[in-house]
Amino acid sequence: MSEALLRDSRRPPAQWRLDPPYSVRTLAVILLAFGLLWYTGQRVEIGRMLALTGEAVLAAAGIKEQSQVASGLGKLWSTMLPVQISERTEIARIENFDPDRLPWFSRVEREELREQLLNPATLQMEERIETRDVLVQPMGYLWHVAVKMAETLEIALWGTIISVLLSIPLAYYGARNYTPNRLAYTTARGTVSLFRAVPELVSALFLVLMFGFGPIAGILALGIHSAGFLGKFYAEDIENADEKPQEALRAIGANKVKVLWHAVIPQVWPQYIAYTLYILDRNVRMATVVGIVGAGGIGQELKGRYDIYNYAHVGTILIAIFVTVFVLDQVSARLRARYI
Amino acid sequence: MLVFDNVCKTFPDGTEALKGVSLVVPQGQFCVILGPSGAGKSTLLRMVNGLVQPSAGKVCVDGVPVEPATYARVRPRIGMIHQLFNLVQRSSVANNVLSGALPAVATWRALLYLYPPPFRAKACQMVYEVGLAEEHLRRRVSELSGGQQQRVGIARAFMLDPAVVLADEPVASLDPKTSRDVLALLKNESRERGATVLCSLHQIDLAREFADRIVALRGGEVAFDEPPAELEDAALRSIFGDYATGRLQPARASLRAAGDAA
Repeated sequence: MSEALLRDSRRPPAQWRLDPPYSVRTLAVILLAFGLLWYTGQRVEIGRMLALTGEAVLAAAGIKEQSQVASGLGKLWSTMLPVQISERTEIARIENFDPDRLPWFSRVEREELREQLLNPATLQMEERIETRDVLVQPMGYLWHVAVKMAETLEIALWGTIISVLLSIPLAYYGARNYTPNRLAYTTARGTVSLFRAVPELVSALFLVLMFGFGPIAGILALGIHSAGFLGKFYAEDIENADEKPQEALRAIGANKVKVLWHAVIPQVWPQYIAYTLYILDRNVRMATVVGIVGAGGIGQELKGRYDIYNYAHVGTILIAIFVTVFVLDQVSARLRARYI
Repeated sequence: MLVFDNVCKTFPDGTEALKGVSLVVPQGQFCVILGPSGAGKSTLLRMVNGLVQPSAGKVCVDGVPVEPATYARVRPRIGMIHQLFNLVQRSSVANNVLSGALPAVATWRALLYLYPPPFRAKACQMVYEVGLAEEHLRRRVSELSGGQQQRVGIARAFMLDPAVVLADEPVASLDPKTSRDVLALLKNESRERGATVLCSLHQIDLAREFADRIVALRGGEVAFDEPPAELEDAALRSIFGDYATGRLQPARASLRAAGDAA
């Protein structure tokens, strides 16, 4: 009987209205988005970008003769190669040089320099041959880059440690279910947003002014920015953790810190490791960059060499950065697979 | 001794879970709260340790009223066993059982997992008593069966030798055979320590088998309060309505058959 009633109360299906797949509103939004992209595309010269890239591709294929991009790339390439491996230092410039105690794998070479000099008496250009001793270290520059790279890794490591330490209180006060009051919550969440809003490169610029050139500025810049990420991620995982074990410990009168430590942290541990590894990974990449504003590590070396047109050295540095990031990516992928 | 003095609970959405329940549970009694879903069993239980605060009336545990100011004093003396076990799935059995001692451990020790040796010994003893073996200590809870998980829950609840144990539908997610074993274990452990047990159930046969006393709730009021022998079909009908004598019975029979087959 109830079925008959139901059938009576419904309209015949021929009169039903099925929503169209695209409403007028959807179409309007799509058109608006296109208009906006068209406008901004003009402003950032997307057209020119496509034209130049196309030209470069045609030039590479041998269809077109000249291309601004391709020739620029070619010039860069030829100045970078061969990359700098060895290091030559004039002995006269080395303080307390002791020829009997050379650094490992190094040798002394005598160099002849031909110089055109103006003789003041005759006002003639004369060629003069000057000899000087240089210390040659065949792997000297490579070693130097390796040391700088190690410093970069150390900056990334310590930046990550600082960000983890900073984000623990931020996560506790920024988790809605553990924060003691609204003020603490707002302060913690505000701080986290602020940290995230300041890019490493910008804060490093100012930190270099405060702490001077070198790794301190880099460590702090990375630590502060990534604390913004970790604080947010840690707090959100605390909020989303399974409520049941927490209730069990609250029911027997364990305080908040104990409940958090024994009922929440074991649940969120794998995610925390994943986030922290990601931040470490990211910090290594960013540590190479913050050096450019003087915050230590390989970036500082890169910027210095680039500014004095030592492109062969720049080539060595770029290869070192690429190899390091690649290796680190593999290592962290493996670590992640193991712990989760 | 556990005293409910005319407790009422109205939830913010207007649901009246309890409408004036008064109850005195003497020390050492195994008191089963029986009733269909929504009768207010959980609400009544959760008032004992303040997980739910009464809208009116009060609850006293050994003369101490249960209210926010006394939680720190009262709660460590009340063990609790949960329907869904409420264990940390990723933690080991040992850490779950030890966490039952957390309120009695200094915070710095809790942070370092440095439980004092007596608690470590107690945890081993409890795991032994609930019928698990040494190799279970290191195992993650998520690797255990439902029955084993509830055993871990019981071990945790007895870590501080509580005066009162609350069991909120402790066997609702277990099969009939395991249910019987788990309830027998709960009854044993509490009797040995003279602990009062307040256990909510919806299975009539289990209530009859294990209870010293059955308090039936219906619609937030006490419908029945007698020793199990007095629980007659007529009383059942008044608790569960037609379900008790009608549809519930065959379902119960088939469940039991399934349990026997298992």
